[in-house]
Amino acid sequence: MTTDTSAAAPRRKMRADDPGASLRANPLKIAIGILGMVGIVWGLANLFLAFGYYPQWFGNKFIIGVLAIVVGVGGAALLFFFLNMFVEGLPRRLSEGAIPYAFVLPGLFFVALMLIYPTFQSINYSFANSDSTAYVGLQNYRTIFADPEFWKSIVNNVLWLLIVPAVVVAFGVIVAVLADKLSPTGEKAAKSLIFLPMAISFVGASAIWGLVYAFNNPGQAQTGLLNAIWVGLGGEPQTWLQIETAKLNSILLMVILIWLQVGFSMVLLSSAIKGVPEDTIEAARIDGASELQIFFKVIIPQIRGTIITVFVTVFITVLKVFDIVYVTTNGAYGTNVIANLFFNKLFASSEAGQATAIVVVLLIAVIPLIWFQIKHFKDEEASR
Amino acid sequence: MSGIPRRALRAGGVVAAAALVLTGCLQNPNAGSGQGGAGGGAAVVDGGSADGDKKVTILGAFGGDEEKNFNASLAEFEKASGIDVQYTADQDFTTTIKQKVNSGDSPDIGLFPQPGGMLEFAAQKKVEPIDAYLDYDRLQGTLLPGFLDASRYRGRVYGAPMRNAVKSVVWYPKAAYDEAGLPKDPATIQALRTDVADKIAATGITPWCIGWESDQATGWVGTDWIEELMLRMYGPTVYDDWTSHRIPFNDERVVKAFDEAAKFNKDPKMVLGGTKGVLNTAFGDAMTPAFTNPPRCMLHRQGNFATTFYPKPVQADLDNQVGIYVFPKFEGGYDGSAILGGGDLAALFNGNDDDSKKVMAFITSDKFGAPWAKAGGWLSPHKTFDVSNYPNETTRKIADIANKASVLRFDGSDLMPKSIGSDVFWKEMVKWENGQTSQQTADNIEAAWPKS
Repeated sequence: MTTDTSAAAPRRKMRADDPGASLRANPLKIAIGILGMVGIVWGLANLFLAFGYYPQWFGNKFIIGVLAIVVGVGGAALLFFFLNMFVEGLPRRLSEGAIPYAFVLPGLFFVALMLIYPTFQSINYSFANSDSTAYVGLQNYRTIFADPEFWKSIVNNVLWLLIVPAVVVAFGVIVAVLADKLSPTGEKAAKSLIFLPMAISFVGASAIWGLVYAFNNPGQAQTGLLNAIWVGLGGEPQTWLQIETAKLNSILLMVILIWLQVGFSMVLLSSAIKGVPEDTIEAARIDGASELQIFFKVIIPQIRGTIITVFVTVFITVLKVFDIVYVTTNGAYGTNVIANLFFNKLFASSEAGQATAIVVVLLIAVIPLIWFQIKHFKDEEASR
Repeated sequence: MSGIPRRALRAGGVVAAAALVLTGCLQNPNAGSGQGGAGGGAAVVDGGSADGDKKVTILGAFGGDEEKNFNASLAEFEKASGIDVQYTADQDFTTTIKQKVNSGDSPDIGLFPQPGGMLEFAAQKKVEPIDAYLDYDRLQGTLLPGFLDASRYRGRVYGAPMRNAVKSVVWYPKAAYDEAGLPKDPATIQALRTDVADKIAATGITPWCIGWESDQATGWVGTDWIEELMLRMYGPTVYDDWTSHRIPFNDERVVKAFDEAAKFNKDPKMVLGGTKGVLNTAFGDAMTPAFTNPPRCMLHRQGNFATTFYPKPVQADLDNQVGIYVFPKFEGGYDGSAILGGGDLAALFNGNDDDSKKVMAFITSDKFGAPWAKAGGWLSPHKTFDVSNYPNETTRKIADIANKASVLRFDGSDLMPKSIGSDVFWKEMVKWENGQTSQQTADNIEAAWPKS
């Protein structure tokens, strides 16, 4: 706080017609701001504790839910209102510098609480025993690196990463381009149908595809779609998700994710393609370029940014793939992936140390990707 | 405000604010042991929902018809006591209960299908020992022998059975079996093979109906086979040594039991659909092909609960449709009548709620379960339970098998550490069924056994 403002500025000097007022500190605003913030935090803390300790005060859970949303959102808004008042009360030189921090810091604090703290805690626990009560050095890492299941999961994850994002983007582009050539009604219908699976959860989709891949003993009616077709063509019923040859079972699981994600890819790419200026395409046509040349040399370079965005987004989704494997095979028959292995280590086996070690390995593996994404984002921003 | 130095004002404000924040917050009225909050008692544990609100939450693994029957069995008690019991079923119970308890959102009561998970909570002091709120001696007097031992941790018992499952039962479709003139109580496993299974195979029918598929828990049916054979080939002492890891998992006796199990589970001439059929048939659907005409398989080894999965017409006419006998002894093995059992164990998370204790006392007593028993698929763990409540002769026969058994052993995989009993053992059984050798399977499980 600066000393050039007199300690006890008389109130009448703070009128709006006083040009020097905003330069000086405004103790009233500061006081109301602080009191307001403290009051809000105190009130919110007590209210939310009351939700937990005395639920009978509120009648039923629905009322608690509505109250929590209204008071939570309203309280956050009021908190920022008082925070703003506090900062405005400061002398202008301070206030101008402090405002961005005042609004960014609470957000940063929660990011730190929810992301950074758990990250370091996980790294810490990865050196501890199965219930995180004593340190065991590098034992967990030795155990997981010696576990063939871990390496199998790594290989599978790499396969998922190599195949799924590429196929999703390729299908997305193809569908977007082809749909573009349809009549407006046809385009709408086709896109809606392809986008529909996006609304289904991973678990739901896995259950649906579980029916497609289902197996019944030879001689019985085949209720699985794939086996019904296969037997209809004269084959023996196959246990599709058990066929490890050429990783067929893993690939069949990838089909589920591709089915879910193509809609997303198509929607983004389609709007990008529609945004390609018509005159560049016409110019290419006048120059005698074939449709294929136009597609690869005119359209693709102009939607490159969107393609990378879609690719990276799908890539990250694939990195976290868990639900599909958990629901269909739970990692049996060589289909395990890192996230499923981690989940089973933590919850089925109660091996918190090994589980966190797996997560730390995964974390290290994604760092280059995060770096690439940030760099790509910056480049995009810079080229604007 | 004028006249008061700014610095003093500011300091005062900060102090006032800090005091307000630190002193003004609510205290948990359910604060656990040691803190002795307003509603808290002296119990060891205090999870679960609010105390004394006439509401008791229960989390369990069974859903569907079983859930309906469970609620029906509680209806009268709820009316009489005014306590509202809210049961939630979760297929993935073993995982869910762990997440809930660790995040401080435990139910008042958990119904554990396996003691392993419960004992883990006992070690963490998350469940209340039953001697603190139930009449231990009376329970011990009426329960089948060995039941309370399954939930003992360092001398104290932490859960009481709510349901009994007798697993050593062989089921067969009566009409077809009688027609073929097959023996109804083979004395040994060897006789079961030569006098029953081989004869069925000779008529062109695959003898055994086996299904292992059970979503994330696929493989448990296989572990039951190994346990059954371990108990019959070597007797309860070796069985206990095996489940408590006093002998290594890859002991040659265990490997032999695997090889013996392979004769039922891995031979395509003996089991319908071969190994593919076993791994892809849901355990509940395994017996269904036995009820076609002619049957496609004839023998099914499964617990008493198997009836709930039979086709509706079969369930309605159970005594005439299916026959049972006890899974026989192993020739050259243990000579007593051993039974492999299991059951749901009720454990209390909220040690300060009298309502929850009342519910616990009721569901673990021999008075509980008449409506469920009448509906079928449920057995009381109490010898004193009124058998006239069972809906049919078949169930009474099973209850009789259990009451007569000289040795009852709990499902072994449920007694092993959780990382083995509900993870590695299941998964390795699947690999074994899918072609892995017995030796390799036993070696893998031994290698995964937690070192401590």
